[in-house]
Amino acid sequence: MASVATGVALPRAVAGPRRALHFKGYLLVLPAVVYVLALLGFPLVLGIWYSLTDTTVARDGHFIGLKNFVEAARDPTFRLALRNTVIIAAVATAAKITLSVALAFLMLGAFRGRSVLRTLFVLPWTIPVALSTIAWKWMFHSQFSVINWVLLKVGVIDQGIQWLGTPIPAMFAVILVSTWRAVPFGAIVIMAGLTALPADVIDAARVDGASWWQRFSQVIVPLIAPILFIAILFDLIFTLTELTVVYLLTGGGPVDQTQVLANYALQVGVPGSQLGLGAAIALFMLPLLLFMTVMALRTIARREGMA
Amino acid sequence: MIAESLPRDAGSRAAWRVLGLSRWQRGTTLRVITLAVYTLLTVFPFYWMIITTFKQNSDLYSETNNPLWFNAPPTLDNVTYLLEQTRFLTWMWNSLVIGIGVVIITLITAVPAGYALARLRLPGAEKLGIAIFATYLVPPTLLFIPLTRVVHTLGLQNTIWSLVLVLPTISIPFSVWLLMGFFKNVSFEIEEAALVDGATRAQAVFHVILPISRAGLAASGMFAFAISLQAFLYPLVFTSSTAVKPVTLGVVTDLIRGDLFYWGSLMAGALLAGLPVAILFNYFLDDFVEGITAGSSK
Repeated sequence: MASVATGVALPRAVAGPRRALHFKGYLLVLPAVVYVLALLGFPLVLGIWYSLTDTTVARDGHFIGLKNFVEAARDPTFRLALRNTVIIAAVATAAKITLSVALAFLMLGAFRGRSVLRTLFVLPWTIPVALSTIAWKWMFHSQFSVINWVLLKVGVIDQGIQWLGTPIPAMFAVILVSTWRAVPFGAIVIMAGLTALPADVIDAARVDGASWWQRFSQVIVPLIAPILFIAILFDLIFTLTELTVVYLLTGGGPVDQTQVLANYALQVGVPGSQLGLGAAIALFMLPLLLFMTVMALRTIARREGMA
Repeated sequence: MIAESLPRDAGSRAAWRVLGLSRWQRGTTLRVITLAVYTLLTVFPFYWMIITTFKQNSDLYSETNNPLWFNAPPTLDNVTYLLEQTRFLTWMWNSLVIGIGVVIITLITAVPAGYALARLRLPGAEKLGIAIFATYLVPPTLLFIPLTRVVHTLGLQNTIWSLVLVLPTISIPFSVWLLMGFFKNVSFEIEEAALVDGATRAQAVFHVILPISRAGLAASGMFAFAISLQAFLYPLVFTSSTAVKPVTLGVVTDLIRGDLFYWGSLMAGALLAGLPVAILFNYFLDDFVEGITAGSSK
């Protein structure tokens, strides 16, 4: 923003009346704002309204207060979905951040083949998630799983694992695919953060006689903390509301053991036609998501030098 | 832009130094091995897609064959099935039309907004910019239920136009943010010089600002296109007929008939539809990261 604040004042003759310019300026912003308000803001409000009514596909609903939320809270499948959503988000996010930082450091500096490696590493993140998930589903196949074949050959297991048919391996599979897909993105964001660090600041902060872990946690982490924080919040928001991996990989099974809120909302709301209840399930996380969004934006605003 | 004034990757070299790792240690076998293992995990699913695509069914569905290599001659049967027995080409076409529609809507709305917010010194412009960006963080899973009603009311259910209409809600917020960054980096003197020379502001924008910012326009456009191809939930909810599905949905729904998965053709479809998107995305990755990290290099 510095360039705007200190920019040379426009010559009066060409600047025109400031207020008219501002008015035109806001007019230019209007289409984007209207579009987003109409197709994102309005549905969000409508969804909140639905969650407070007994709306179904067939009829408009009546206001029933928090009954949908109470009903959801009593529903064992909902509780399972809530539990799984939290577990997947917590484990996957921890794994993603750890691996992203590790990969970012491994990729630092210039070495031969780096750009080729980078192109390969980002593949999981750049291919549409539905298509990679279906490939993983085939790798986890009940009869022809290549993962089982390799594990059997190496001798790690002596009989094939029913990856998607047993609760814990199925959760593992969901978390693995989610992590596999997201690590490149995290790594690239962190790499961007590291590359942009001023070298003299890091050198000045060098602590002699400390272990590499101490130096890592006391010098590097504080320096990349803001970017790490944004990356974690973004990832949590998208992991908590993730649907595609579960929908395609396990369908929430076996018997809802990998069910998550977004997928359950889809089942209740679309094939089940209970729009009100479905909206309530989908929006259950809204307060938490709003909180995380505000935190992320405050960090971004600080980086932009506004706050 | 501190990063540009320093030797490339100075920050990362300093990061290594502070950990006390010498140049020699950075190149140690451990690092090479770790990277090799990681590469293997990253690319194996893609290898698996490729080898499955070209395997004969008898080879594919055998518990004794080595699944990692061809035990029978490679075949194009799965690709042929995909192209001739499914609507794969229709789905690709649908995705293309949807993508182009989303790009047009995104650029028409995001370019003026990004320009005004970055350059017209509007009171509250930064806050408004961040507010628009915030909507990028509203996930489709919160919106698809009420949106089905909106799409239905507009009579767009089960058409590709429902997706052309709805998907820009994801791409506009991010593109506005991305373009704000690009427009801010164009020097004010250049625009003012054009204005002093008697150009109208519109002429200055079209002849000076936009040509200079074409990398940003390209990045926004490609981002909008990639987003529309990545989408899964909205297509799943808004389109149901085979003829109107985009490719990501068509491949993973129409090649599964009840309990029967056409794995060979599924992988062929994933490969043929997925790789172009992945390559496209890779091209403007740096711009995308720049947008996400929001001025980390300032």
